Amino acid sequence: MQNRQWQNRFSFKALIVLALAALLLSACAPIAPAADSGMEMADEGPVTITWAMWGSPAEVATHQSVADAFMEEQSDIVIEILAEPWGDYFTKIKTLWASGDSSVVPDVLFLSPIVNYASEGVLENLDPWIEASGYNVDDYWPSLLEYAMYDGSVYGFPRDIGLEVLYYNKDIFDEVGVPYPDDTWTWDDLAAAAEQLTVVEDSGRVSRYALGMEGGKWMIWVMQKGGMALDDMRNPSSCALNEPGVVEAVQFFKDMIDNNYFMPPANMSQAGGDAAVFQSGQVAMIIQNASRVSAFNAAGMNYDVSVIPIPADGHRASAAGGAAWVMSALSDNKEEAWTFLSWLQSTNGGQRIYTASGEILPALQSTAKSDAFLNSGQPPANRQAFITEGENARMGRIGYFVEWSQIGGSFINPGRDQILIGEVGVADGLNSICEQVDAFLEENGFPK
Amino acid sequence: MTASTSSHSSLPRWRRYQPDQQWEAYLFLLPSFAGFLIFVAIPVVASLALSLFEWSLLSPPEFVGFKNYTQLLSSDLVFRKVLFNTFYFIVTIVPLQLAFGLLLAVALNQGLRGLEVYRLIYFMPVVTTIVAAALVFQWFFNRDFGILAAAIWELGSKTGLPIRPPDWLNDPDWAKPAVVILTLWKNTGFTMVIYLAALQGVPAELYDAAKVDGASAWQRFRSVTFPMVSPTTFFLMVIQMIGAFQLFSEAFVMTQGGPAQATLTIVYYIYQMAFEFQRMGRGAAVAWVLFIFIFIFTLVQTRLQRRWVHYEAGGES
Repeated sequence: MQNRQWQNRFSFKALIVLALAALLLSACAPIAPAADSGMEMADEGPVTITWAMWGSPAEVATHQSVADAFMEEQSDIVIEILAEPWGDYFTKIKTLWASGDSSVVPDVLFLSPIVNYASEGVLENLDPWIEASGYNVDDYWPSLLEYAMYDGSVYGFPRDIGLEVLYYNKDIFDEVGVPYPDDTWTWDDLAAAAEQLTVVEDSGRVSRYALGMEGGKWMIWVMQKGGMALDDMRNPSSCALNEPGVVEAVQFFKDMIDNNYFMPPANMSQAGGDAAVFQSGQVAMIIQNASRVSAFNAAGMNYDVSVIPIPADGHRASAAGGAAWVMSALSDNKEEAWTFLSWLQSTNGGQRIYTASGEILPALQSTAKSDAFLNSGQPPANRQAFITEGENARMGRIGYFVEWSQIGGSFINPGRDQILIGEVGVADGLNSICEQVDAFLEENGFPK
Repeated sequence: MTASTSSHSSLPRWRRYQPDQQWEAYLFLLPSFAGFLIFVAIPVVASLALSLFEWSLLSPPEFVGFKNYTQLLSSDLVFRKVLFNTFYFIVTIVPLQLAFGLLLAVALNQGLRGLEVYRLIYFMPVVTTIVAAALVFQWFFNRDFGILAAAIWELGSKTGLPIRPPDWLNDPDWAKPAVVILTLWKNTGFTMVIYLAALQGVPAELYDAAKVDGASAWQRFRSVTFPMVSPTTFFLMVIQMIGAFQLFSEAFVMTQGGPAQATLTIVYYIYQMAFEFQRMGRGAAVAWVLFIFIFIFTLVQTRLQRRWVHYEAGGES
């Protein structure tokens, strides 16, 4: 009797425990699919395309206005935005893909670098879509589409071309009496102007540097000298940073830093980044892409842009690269996703709206050369500088294979820091980088 | 005992203790146990399996056996650098933190007026978000525009001496001390509070007896205070060593592991491998090597404690 009662209670309580456990576990499972499949079953209703990107609140607002403009034109497709801050975005997207659940993976996404994802088979090959619709890929800047290619096929459309120009503070140039930079400037002109623009106090403290630039952009100098990081940026067999041209380029960069012309990149990031030190007048010039334009305009700065000075025996070498819109291979609505994607990347569609927001140099030449970019009525006046750099864009600042992030992160960047700090000589430092990179390439079976 | 039994039986039946009542206990434990299972136990086991695979998160894992371990230990020069950095932080942070913590605790234990205020001041950094603190310290250390550097530049120009502030976060030799300083600032308050509690458990008779015997202040500290708080020292040493092994946020926010990998730690390397280089298996392998290090070091410390830790405080035992 007592025993049976105990058993009853046992099973009842076990049930409660089990139910609670189930509840807890189910709380971890995604709830979204139910809502989604409900949508699909209703034959009449519009199709929902999930559109993912990273961005600040201001950037997300621009994306939202693009989505709104699209939905105004197309009543049968609803765009839902999934926005995450840069720091969380990639982990989140990878995790969603790892789940393999097509209902939670966004249909259209903003990604970079494309090759890391295309090689894993999670992206839709866009070649058949381009062919079927006659989408004009020749409108992109030279080499730009290569950034989103893998194994000879297009896997994404770069939204913009992230090439840099030289921003200069006109007030500081006027005050010091240095002529504004122009297309004829060489490295020597840059160094000569920098000497006048830099202000060093008696104590030795530098209160104004001539130039600021993020450390990662050092390849500009290398490529202007005809150098590259690797012999082949898609399938390398050896490091190419010990070439004579590269040594000269890095020596130029190091001399600029040693002469106090150039704010050390780490100092700059500690002081708030290039935009902050440029706006506060702590540097007279920065080298950066179009993303700073709207901030400087909002701050009412008196500035303009110019092409980046090149070595007397070198050539312009802007980076043909930019984050791209891609389609997930898992998408359940590829037809609609393509409609949206190709609209996004057209002069009359998304490109115009992003260009008007003033933060990008559009990926399409027709958009860049339209009034939306060239005659927006906003500073900088010399927007032609962007076009000149764009026409000279070339691929190769980054590697187009998965292991590149480790080669850059573990060997090239720390090695470059050591050289710039002065821990090793330029040639020795570059040689030691190349030894490590070559060993890594060999260990990982390159060339593949 | 009798009193509690009588009050117990006077309760209604459903409120009385019953032999099978551990079910309720399990029920209450369930949420935390489920959390432990899902977020700790299962991932730990999974990471051990994962360390035998090459996995980029996006495509299916590929079994590679012990390759992740053998490559890590034989040819990975960055891993050696990372080990060196981590040991540098352990041998600097742990002793300094113990010394400063004990020093502050002894100072505050002198019956100071406004003890609560000092305790609050020193403990405040412990509850400060590390990211916010590291960002402020980034400014603090900046050679051109930082407040520390400004004072030194000012000193140089006032005295005419060639004094220059170090380029803390750009110079590999100074970046490590900068991280040590931030960590000390952040964690010493915790050490201090634990020591303060231990000091208040030291019986006053011992000091009185020592005084009668003519012991100086230093002798009293060395022969009474230090042995009496040695169990606390041991406890703090173990947890701080583990903490130093796991140093990450300070370097991640303030120096990004730089300059030239000078502040790249083991945990930072795990993060880089897994999330920047998309090599989850290799990252998991580093994590297990870290576990083995922590395990061995803690074991050694536990063995060595018999030689210097005195469990005499607290009277009866």
